[in-house]
Amino acid sequence: MSGLPPSVLQQEVSLGELLDVKSFTEVCQSFAELYRVGLKVFDAAGNRLVEVKVGNADFCGYIWQKPDGRAQCIATVQRVKGGAVPEEAKPTAFDCFSGCRYVVQPVVYEGDAVGRIVFGPFVPDDLVQLPRTLTAIAPDFDPNMATSYMQKIRRVPQATAEKILRHFAEILEVLVFSGHKNLITARLHIEAVQESYRELQEKNRQLEDGFGKLKELDRLKSNFLATMSHELRTPLTSVIGYSEMMLEGLGGPLTSEQREYLGIIMEKGENLLQLITSILDITKIEAGRVRLVLSEVELGQLIRDAVSTVLPHARKKGLTLVCQPAGAAKVHCDREKARQCLINLVSNAVKFTPAGGTITVGAGEAPGERVALYVTDTGIGITEEHLPRVWDVFYQVDGSSTREYGGAGLGLAIVKSFVEAHGGEVHVRSVPNSGSTFTMVFPARGAAAAAPRSPQARSAVS
Amino acid sequence: MVAFNNELREIALKVVYYGPALSGKTTNLQSLFQKIDPKVRGRLMTLDTKDDRTLFFDMMPVFFRTTSGVKVKLKLYTVPGQVMHESTRRIVLQGTDAVAFVADARRSETVTTLAYWNNMLKNLEANGLEPSTLPIVIQMNKCDLADVRGEDELQDLLQVLRPLVIQAVAIRGEGVVETLHILLTLAYRTLDQRVGLERSWHISEREFLSQIFSHMDLRGTRLTGAGAAR
Repeated sequence: MSGLPPSVLQQEVSLGELLDVKSFTEVCQSFAELYRVGLKVFDAAGNRLVEVKVGNADFCGYIWQKPDGRAQCIATVQRVKGGAVPEEAKPTAFDCFSGCRYVVQPVVYEGDAVGRIVFGPFVPDDLVQLPRTLTAIAPDFDPNMATSYMQKIRRVPQATAEKILRHFAEILEVLVFSGHKNLITARLHIEAVQESYRELQEKNRQLEDGFGKLKELDRLKSNFLATMSHELRTPLTSVIGYSEMMLEGLGGPLTSEQREYLGIIMEKGENLLQLITSILDITKIEAGRVRLVLSEVELGQLIRDAVSTVLPHARKKGLTLVCQPAGAAKVHCDREKARQCLINLVSNAVKFTPAGGTITVGAGEAPGERVALYVTDTGIGITEEHLPRVWDVFYQVDGSSTREYGGAGLGLAIVKSFVEAHGGEVHVRSVPNSGSTFTMVFPARGAAAAAPRSPQARSAVS
Repeated sequence: MVAFNNELREIALKVVYYGPALSGKTTNLQSLFQKIDPKVRGRLMTLDTKDDRTLFFDMMPVFFRTTSGVKVKLKLYTVPGQVMHESTRRIVLQGTDAVAFVADARRSETVTTLAYWNNMLKNLEANGLEPSTLPIVIQMNKCDLADVRGEDELQDLLQVLRPLVIQAVAIRGEGVVETLHILLTLAYRTLDQRVGLERSWHISEREFLSQIFSHMDLRGTRLTGAGAAR
């Protein structure tokens, strides 16, 4: 019927669960002591929770010695404990064959009798002499001894006894109410926590499912990119190759216009090839298939290589390229990948620096036996909100379709992955409208891939 | 869900006051507690925080014995309204026989009210309760304030079900008894159809309602006499 496990609100609780029986016993003891009358409390099933005897031990003990007395005593106790009483907060009197009396009242809580209080035995103040029902229990019954024992039991008018009992029942009702409230609070708290936990687990499971599906889609996307890049590269190589052959005159003499057009085909073809290569690199990185070929590389040479590659483009844009001397410092790295990283950074600098600007490429030692390669420009800079994401794959600061600067958003992601594959790290600092500095830090002695920083940087060293 | 105990001749019923935070659920129960004769009700159990926000629920038991000797035990609960107590709301709704949805009638509360209404329907279903057959009434509370919604502006709440709507100012006790009266009338009829309260248990609708409402202070309400009349 219900999707939830049954709550404590749906369950009946017994009197024993609602009271702290140990401390309740203490309350009963002090109460019985105050009024010098015995007290018993039973739950609805007839289990005795508390029993306090006051004054009747000798009297009852004497009767108990006689077989008839014992039998009648047991019957009286059964009556007092289980005899019918109206299910309302009113006392009912039960006479004992001994002349003593009990008053009994149900413990009524929320309209239900959840137990009963037995107050007694006491001697009713109208008892003049021992009743015949007592004196006849045995031929050797000694009335004098019994009378002297009876004097130890409190003599009290029934009305007073009933008043005391009602008073006690009122106290007990408050105790039961507080006990019930505490019990429900505690149990419901646990139930609420369990229910919240169950709900969270359900949500987690849904999220995990969703995440798994996304991962699978991402893998399919990477596969697709890798396959497509490969398929695109093959015909492109022919386009570039045949253009080159024609430019070299292998197909016969060319007019200057044909030469110019072929130059454009070559250049754009190479741009396209570079882009496709980047996509392949990224898919390899994402699949954890980057392999590093490590060797001693001179930093100065690395910088000169990169700068000379980008120089024509920078000149055309009216930029100044400055190489800061790196001395003979060396770094243990994959030459080709380090060169590609540096070219990516310098190309970016060229792209984002307006005419008249300056780009500085340099290297230096970094703390902890590491070397840093940096590229500083006087370009448009990056606002703080975009800084943490510039290294993400496909991320563009200007993501609009009408953006001013081209690019696939792969360059920096490749740089970061390659550097991290070397066990290094990348940094960027930038002031909008003033310039940026991108830094790559490599371990000088090639602690390559010792501690990959992300699953993307998982790589093999050969 | 209503519990029948044939051996003890007992019927236990549960009514829940549901609604957004501060819509007046506890106020409803407190008002009923004041109006109903202590002979037929127990203490009002309130589990709240220092700032009087309901933490788990409020609960008031009402009980009576019919002339045919059947003991009827009715428990009125409120749920905690604050958003964070979602799981407690779901637990308190468990096995309910009728729901009073207490809403703040002001237009500014329209969005919140609808969200809690939908949330209640969802939680009823999570408890295996079918909202279309469960007795539900809507109490539009705080009708004495400015900018309250008129009866023709409740389309959002009446899209799926069409429960009765009662106007109330619970803080002044207005509409509180009427809400319970209509809700218990619906609850009686639903149970009678399902288990034959009149046929098998010899409890008539008139007696069922009168046992409760004749012990209620009906001054200022639209109910009269023994409370059996509408």
